[in-house]
Amino acid sequence: MTLQLNESEVRARAINLPAFPRVVNDILETLEDDNATLGALVRFVECDPVITGRIVSVANSAAMGGHTAVELKNVKMAISLIGMSRVREIVLAVSMAEFARKSGISAYYWEHSVAVAITAQELGRFAHVSADYALVAGLLHDIGQLWMARFYPLEFQMVRNAVNVSNRSIVEIEQHYFGIDHCVIGGILAEQWALPASIVAAIRHHHEPTPMLAEKLVGLIHVAEVLSNALDLTSRDENQVSNISEGACAAIGLDWEQDLSVLFGRIEARTEFACKVFR
Amino acid sequence: MKDMAIRLRYLPLSDVTEGMVLGAPLVLPEHGVSTFGLPLGHVLTETNLHQMAVRHAEFVCIQQEDTRSDDERAAEIAASEARVRHIFRSADLSQPLMARLYGAVLAYRGQ
Repeated sequence: MTLQLNESEVRARAINLPAFPRVVNDILETLEDDNATLGALVRFVECDPVITGRIVSVANSAAMGGHTAVELKNVKMAISLIGMSRVREIVLAVSMAEFARKSGISAYYWEHSVAVAITAQELGRFAHVSADYALVAGLLHDIGQLWMARFYPLEFQMVRNAVNVSNRSIVEIEQHYFGIDHCVIGGILAEQWALPASIVAAIRHHHEPTPMLAEKLVGLIHVAEVLSNALDLTSRDENQVSNISEGACAAIGLDWEQDLSVLFGRIEARTEFACKVFR
Repeated sequence: MKDMAIRLRYLPLSDVTEGMVLGAPLVLPEHGVSTFGLPLGHVLTETNLHQMAVRHAEFVCIQQEDTRSDDERAAEIAASEARVRHIFRSADLSQPLMARLYGAVLAYRGQ
């Protein structure tokens, strides 16, 4: 049986997802604000005691790596020791890891999202894209699949089965079973959560970036997903690369003929580290 | 006697141990202002590991002697190449861009 879902159905069901962490919007809004202070970041974070506890714990684990040292006891202390930009990144990742956990996300989905986010951050250096935008867009790029798995698990599983035996793209298969694909659903959710337009576009167009290449983040997330699969970052048997956009590669200024071993090494090591820390 | 080959490895900080040798200079920002650095070839100490962790290093490039025999090295490279071919199983490698991406990954795995 196939479905014919539309935008209003996606929005209506999304109300039953856990609340999207407001701190993500707060941080993205203040990125360009030179007057944003340490106090503001602390205030955003301390609105949520669960997130605060996780951040302090992750900051400790990340900062100490198992070595004996002074324990970080609060967010201010974490900022003073490891710096505001790193804490901001931890806050974003932890907030979304919490959101993903409450949403019942699978380990594979989360690891893939982390891999794409790290790859996007590293490629973003070529394209001069904000590391925080790359992180959020990478972590959320497949959020439409989470919606599908949560509200229509049977049809979602049928899509997964078909992907493994078909030559058709995942987008075509999803459109067959759902009448809509995970990119469109993800874009609707990102709009509903009032995320910046560039992140909405990156989620919506990550499989077909050509119409939106004026927005660098779109090409970046497309290439990041392809490269994370090419590097086998999640080591899943079904990992595969089937297409890549020439325009997206050009938009981020990446030349595949140069020696990329340092870039690839960084991406692999950072992803392995992040998957351990942000479980 | 043949000189032992050197391999560069990028390791997450959790896998880095005392005595490993840096394969590239290490530069870490401190509060976005000053930097903490160690030179290429530096032998890492327990104190260095702590210094890196506190500055939130995520990974380190280290150099290791390649102790594999020629046969072992060839077998590892062949297995890596087979995995890359599997990942690109549905890609059209006659497309120049796809061929370049495939070549870049293959070159990296062949190291």
